[in-house]
Amino acid sequence: MSNVKSVVAVVDDDPRVLESLEELLESAGYVTRSFSSAGALLASGTSGIDLLITDIGMPGMNGFELRDQVKKARPKLPVFLITGRHEIVDQERAQDIDGLFRKPFDGQVLLAAIADALQHKGNGE
Amino acid sequence: MTGLWTQRPKFIHLGLFVAAYVLGCAFAQILAFMPGTGISIWLPSGLFIATLLFASRSTWAWWLLAGCFAELFANTLWFRSPLPAAFLIYLGNALEALIGAWLIRRVLGDPVRLDTLQQMLIFVALGAGVAPIMAATIGAATVDGFDILSQSFWTAWPLFWIGDATGVLIVAPLALAVLQNWGDRTQLSATQWMEICILGLIFGGVAALSLNHYLSFTYIVVPPLLWAAVRFEFKGAAIALMFLVLITAAFTMSSGGEFPGVSESPKERHILLQLFLAISALSAMIVAAISRQHRLGLLTLRKSMDTLRHREWELTQLVDVVPSHLWRLTPDGEPIFFNRRMADFLGMGVADIDRPNATRLDALIEAIHPVDAPGFRTALRHSLATGEPFALRYRLRRADGVYHWMSSRADPLRGEDGRIVQWYGLCHDIDDQVHAEEALRERERGLRELLDALPINILSFAPTRKMTYASKRYIDKVGAPLVHIEDFDALARDVAHPEDFPRMFAVASHGFATGQPFVNRFRRRDKQGIYRWIEARTQPQRDASGTILQWHIVSIDIEDEMHAQQALRAAQDSLARQSQAASLAELSASIAHEVNQPLAAVIANSHACHRWLTADPPNIERANKTVDRIIRDANSAADVVSRIRALFKQSVDTRVNGAIEDIVAEAHNLIAEEAARHRVLLDVEVDRGLPAIFMDAVQIKQVLVNLIRNGMEAMAGLAEDKRLSVRVSRIDNTVQIDIRDHGTGIEAPDRIFEPFFTTKEHGMGMGLAICRSIVESHGGRLWAEKNEPKGAVLAFTLPIESKVLS
Repeated sequence: MSNVKSVVAVVDDDPRVLESLEELLESAGYVTRSFSSAGALLASGTSGIDLLITDIGMPGMNGFELRDQVKKARPKLPVFLITGRHEIVDQERAQDIDGLFRKPFDGQVLLAAIADALQHKGNGE
Repeated sequence: MTGLWTQRPKFIHLGLFVAAYVLGCAFAQILAFMPGTGISIWLPSGLFIATLLFASRSTWAWWLLAGCFAELFANTLWFRSPLPAAFLIYLGNALEALIGAWLIRRVLGDPVRLDTLQQMLIFVALGAGVAPIMAATIGAATVDGFDILSQSFWTAWPLFWIGDATGVLIVAPLALAVLQNWGDRTQLSATQWMEICILGLIFGGVAALSLNHYLSFTYIVVPPLLWAAVRFEFKGAAIALMFLVLITAAFTMSSGGEFPGVSESPKERHILLQLFLAISALSAMIVAAISRQHRLGLLTLRKSMDTLRHREWELTQLVDVVPSHLWRLTPDGEPIFFNRRMADFLGMGVADIDRPNATRLDALIEAIHPVDAPGFRTALRHSLATGEPFALRYRLRRADGVYHWMSSRADPLRGEDGRIVQWYGLCHDIDDQVHAEEALRERERGLRELLDALPINILSFAPTRKMTYASKRYIDKVGAPLVHIEDFDALARDVAHPEDFPRMFAVASHGFATGQPFVNRFRRRDKQGIYRWIEARTQPQRDASGTILQWHIVSIDIEDEMHAQQALRAAQDSLARQSQAASLAELSASIAHEVNQPLAAVIANSHACHRWLTADPPNIERANKTVDRIIRDANSAADVVSRIRALFKQSVDTRVNGAIEDIVAEAHNLIAEEAARHRVLLDVEVDRGLPAIFMDAVQIKQVLVNLIRNGMEAMAGLAEDKRLSVRVSRIDNTVQIDIRDHGTGIEAPDRIFEPFFTTKEHGMGMGLAICRSIVESHGGRLWAEKNEPKGAVLAFTLPIESKVLS
């Protein structure tokens, strides 16, 4: 665990999910920045963000498009996708995506994955 | 008496009779050359017999009365006998007339005719021979008894007898002829009148000369008498005799001549006179009778010849006019007669066909169409040789060169020895008929070709269902029915698919019984033994009174259509299932998403809460906050479930009283196609008289379809005997429906009704759970049992409401 607190951005159109993730991440010692849509995140910019967690099914830009957009500016930024629609996960397009979580997800597993991703990122940079 | 009065003859006739009678008496008085005897030629006897012969028997009394009056009157004038004697003599005369007339009528019959010699002889024997015996006997006895003119019985008797006999001979035939021919006005020709005159002169001359002794033979008068008899028969003879008698009387009165003969004794002279007249009369009558018989014979012969000639003429007309050809052949076949129509047709008579170096038959055969001629020759030769009747149709050339169809027959006429004497032939012109028949055959052939060309099969059956017709196409396609297959029932059993037969046969039987047209779709086996789907439409043909004459079945092959239809249905089915599956998946995805969102929040918050509490030091404030959120989000998830339940909840109760058999029938209809496609035989049996059930028809139908479909799917892997039975029966206060299959059976009968339990690869596991929920909401039960020997029984009950029962 580094001294500087990592910043995790969370995007979801459901405020309940947004709040619960914020709570979980903060309980694990992360700084969170919450956005209710992809547009809101892009408007505030991705600088200072260490990891992105985004819902897939959202009005306007969806999670896949947001990921593609963010990767253009920050190719190495770890992105986790979460979804309540399991059929999307079943689709071929999403088969080989890393860091995809089905709602409801296990909090411990998610935190472990975040920690792992941030550690790899730190090593990589 | 009234009867006698009404039978009275006319007074004028009675008067004439009396006058003639009195005249006859006067004549007798004149001729009585033994003065005062009154015995001479008694002409009234002839008049009396002739009158009684002519008059009807019922009037005889009148004539007897009139005769009595006339004779008594004459007696008063001339004879002057005592009245009793006169009356007795009349009695003899009357008896003579009565017996004579009665005997003659009895022997010769009514009316008396003197046409033959035999009749004449009988008349003479009875009338002039037998009858006068009465008068002679009574008369002679009276003369003797009253001692009139000193005559003894034996001297008077012959005088009486001969006198009466002569009277009868002379007068009776003439009187009879006059009476019978009173109205007859036969005209005599001038030649006959001339002859009569000459005869009269000769007769008168000869009579006068002979009676005056210029000629010594009195009998010289006989030849002219016979001449008159020969030429003019009775009338001639009778008139000549009358003439002779008058001359005789004249000479006797004048006493100038002692007629006839030279005897000295007046009595002998008297007898000689009587004999002369009697013999003359007898001879004349016999000659007249022979002449008459001869003439009548000639007349009859002439009439017969006329009749014969007329018959011949009629026959000739008949033969010529009859609208057929008649011909005759010799036993060798040579024509010897054509009737006029045949001669007109051929343009030649039988005599015109004589050719050098050729027989008449050859000449006749020349007129026969060259195609038919050899057949004609052969058939005729065969008949001539064997004597069998000849019958043939051939074309015969008319005079104008046009050939006409003829129907010809000939039969042999055999003599008494059995040999053929001639052949008689009859030949009809049947040209129009043959052309009409040809046209008819042509039309029939055309129709048959049309029938055969149409891509349909046609069968006809009598009302008894006996097969009467099968089109060529049918026989080509299906094959001719076997010999033992004669009626519809046997045929249907033979060609219809065993699975389709019961239904098809039931429809047909109903149609035949009610006389209504009917349609059947079933698989029919063809010649190769392959079953193909056909549609058979059956229609009755009725006569004017509505009675069914025939049943006609038209069938068409619908195998391809059935396949196309099945494919279409399968596609529709699959589409429906896919869309159903898709919508179910979508629904479940939506539900899942709705529930997953709050659940995700609840779980994340739970982890966070756990972390806050396990931190060092524990952050109670944050933990409390997360617990609040957990409660909130969990409630949110519960709300989602409530909302979904509310969504599926029946808001309106659509239950009504309905007949379970109708629901079963509808479910059967819904599933029938699918069952046929999967080769599953559905066997539905519903008890009669089931009470109405209070239910939601749509839901119960859904349950039935679901359970039937499950059963069918359970048998999907079977190769054969895919039989599924649905049985509906009443058990106590419930109706129980059993759905029985022969499939793989159920491994876990207790779990199958749990939601999401499924043994199927693609199943949702909701079907049976929904079914149970529907059945239970109706107050019934749904359960599963093992079927013996294999398969499963899914059974459910529906309660019979007491309010429905009442």
